[in-house]
Amino acid sequence: MSRSKIDRVWIGLTFVAAVASCSDGASGRPASDSRAPAKRSDSSVIVAGARIAVPRPGDPGDWPMPGGDYSNSRYAELSDITPANAKKLQVAWAMSTGVLRGHEGQPLVIDKTMYVITPYPNVAYAIDLAAPGQPLKWRFRPENAEAATGRACCDVVNRGAAFADGLLVYNLLDGHTVAVDAATGVQRWRTRMGDIALGETITMAPIIVNGRVIVGSSGGEMGVRGWLGALDLKTGKVLWKGYNVGPDADVLIDASFKPFYASDSGANLGVSSWPSDTWKRGGAVSWGWVSYDPALNLVYYGTSNPGPWNEGMRAGDNKWSCTIVARDAATGKVRWVFQVTPHDMWDYDAVNENILVDLPINGAQRKALVHFDRNGFAYTLDRATGEMLVAEPFVFTNWASGIDKKTGRPVVNPEKRTAEGKLVKDICPSLEGGKNQQPAAFSPQTGLFYVPTVNLCMDFRTRPVTYIPGTPYIGADAPEKMGDGGFGGEFIAWDATTGKKVWGVKEPFPLWSGVLVTSGGVAFYGTLDGFFKAVDARTGDVLWQFKVGSGVVGNPITYRGPDGRQYVAVYAGIGGDMGLLIAGDVAANLPYDVRERGSTLPGLAKWTSWGGELFVFAIPQ
Amino acid sequence: MSQLTRGTRLSIRIGAIAAVLLLPLVWQRIGLGIGSISAMQSKQNTGQDTLRFVAHNDNPPVGWPSIDRPLALRNPLGKDPQALATGAKLYVAYNCIDCHGAGGGGSMGPSLNDGRWHFGGSDGEVFESIYQGRPEGMPAWGGRIANDQIWMLVAYLRSLHDGRDVSTENFTGRTVERTGH
Repeated sequence: MSRSKIDRVWIGLTFVAAVASCSDGASGRPASDSRAPAKRSDSSVIVAGARIAVPRPGDPGDWPMPGGDYSNSRYAELSDITPANAKKLQVAWAMSTGVLRGHEGQPLVIDKTMYVITPYPNVAYAIDLAAPGQPLKWRFRPENAEAATGRACCDVVNRGAAFADGLLVYNLLDGHTVAVDAATGVQRWRTRMGDIALGETITMAPIIVNGRVIVGSSGGEMGVRGWLGALDLKTGKVLWKGYNVGPDADVLIDASFKPFYASDSGANLGVSSWPSDTWKRGGAVSWGWVSYDPALNLVYYGTSNPGPWNEGMRAGDNKWSCTIVARDAATGKVRWVFQVTPHDMWDYDAVNENILVDLPINGAQRKALVHFDRNGFAYTLDRATGEMLVAEPFVFTNWASGIDKKTGRPVVNPEKRTAEGKLVKDICPSLEGGKNQQPAAFSPQTGLFYVPTVNLCMDFRTRPVTYIPGTPYIGADAPEKMGDGGFGGEFIAWDATTGKKVWGVKEPFPLWSGVLVTSGGVAFYGTLDGFFKAVDARTGDVLWQFKVGSGVVGNPITYRGPDGRQYVAVYAGIGGDMGLLIAGDVAANLPYDVRERGSTLPGLAKWTSWGGELFVFAIPQ
Repeated sequence: MSQLTRGTRLSIRIGAIAAVLLLPLVWQRIGLGIGSISAMQSKQNTGQDTLRFVAHNDNPPVGWPSIDRPLALRNPLGKDPQALATGAKLYVAYNCIDCHGAGGGGSMGPSLNDGRWHFGGSDGEVFESIYQGRPEGMPAWGGRIANDQIWMLVAYLRSLHDGRDVSTENFTGRTVERTGH
């Protein structure tokens, strides 16, 4: 604690010095829309030489893909909003989505049009930003089976759309991928990718790479078998589908597979690291974010927990669950893997975003991938080879004492191993992870990562479970509770070259909102109790906050409006796994209200209620 | 009551698939002993075939007393402690627990212990929800498990609350078991 306080003071002083020596830092009107981060004084850069691996092409005033760019940096070159003027932010306009469930994900902005995808029933809205009052250009209501709503583990969320060649492409909860004409809202194609009868749903945001739509499945709690697939953007035809468990032929592993660690080498490990045929129900779905490096032509994603949670029913490493996977974007062939949590017994999915950056590590510039895992450790990997460069805890972690530098494997604390019939108490982090799906952001100006974290712990008791298709395949109870320290989450700045926290802003509730950071030097995030905040990206000082209509579990974006001004947009609508009981536990014929989630989120119901709104902010003219 | 029991026995006797196929017949037999239903059935003969309709309070067919029919069903096992105890075990064995939470506290699926029922909380309505399934993803267990097991589950579920609708102000969130991602 004292260390971070010292860091924060030190950085604050550095910033004051930087502002004093750099005239555009504190003036009301900084260099508008500066494309070159180098314009700012280097003395304010905290990790020099860190840069986004795949900067965003095209208009910096758009938000063209879920993570802003293929690196998933969530960084934007827009600088109207600065630490000096952020306190003037006001609501510019707002819109109800008409759906009152968890609004994860983010809108897209392309060519003066904003595209919004709602939670189930997954309505798409095209909003005309150029017309006064932001009317709809069109709305699209897909055919979407209602049965999916009861097969989705963790609310009926959707994490957004992708856009290319005039098509808006997104996934439906009932396992379909659809492409909609972005000009007219007419459906162009629709492909069934998952089977809800088995519990396969889709919640993730696709990305589009060279005419291929990359899609992954949800359902890791339903005994399904996870996969990542590619569809032809023009036709919706499946080009490849690689399973995350099973024989090499199904996983798309061949001679081009070059894992860095010896324990990942061998034939058909996706079968032999499971007892008998349990791999067929082994989970390892791909419900998180996908990144892409065009130079290596690799897509990166993580796989979920193995099923069931009762680890005694699946002795072995359970490959390739809880694994970061690099696949060739053209063929789907696996290039390398890094199994973050072998034989997971705490529900530590590895699906969190992989942020592609080039970082100076031990004096050498490395092509890196930075990943804040559910298991509480932040990993910096070499994205060409899968070699682990740095792995340090970013939240309080007691299930493992550290990560073995030679093998990349966690050093598990024997007291926190779960086993059938045994109650294991106080495992940190909880199954929600030190961080969950809410994506972090990276700023090349500071070289820092901005990470929304969760401070929960859990008890864990497993029990036998039978596989019944279409029902949960879990076999464990895991009540959660607040971690020590009197806070539920913390918004932290992280140096991925050394694996150290630079500063943090403590929050009363776990963070479930993603982060945006801009070249104006401002980071944005939202909270479960319904505050949307702007923070100085260098010091962590909270510059401004606004109470929106519901708890925030979505990811802020920024864009330049047709009027030339910078806007910041975010969804308000509590839900997702963290808000599940809050949002879901009322009868359909009763007035909507919010209920406490017991000991996990005490007092939250005083602060928020269901919602489904888009809020857009700007500095008044 | 005897009609109902006979109807229940009948559907246990017939095979799993046959139970689904013959479901309308089973309901008809159940309904025969109930005055209001009989009256409705004579009306139906002049109108559309509503016997196949899955009654729901939100969309009853014209003239159909959707509330009366399932409410009139009684659990033949009543509150028998043995049935209730077995029902609690079945609740785990059939994975109900991982959707609806330990003790029915709610999770992926809605809470079953707060007195708020999406499709009605009487014996017959709860039986129907389990037997027929519900459109939001509740599987149809009719024909997959024996009817007397469904009644045991009904006995267990109805024991979880005393019929009160727990207001938000008084809801303590007594269960925090999670399903996670």
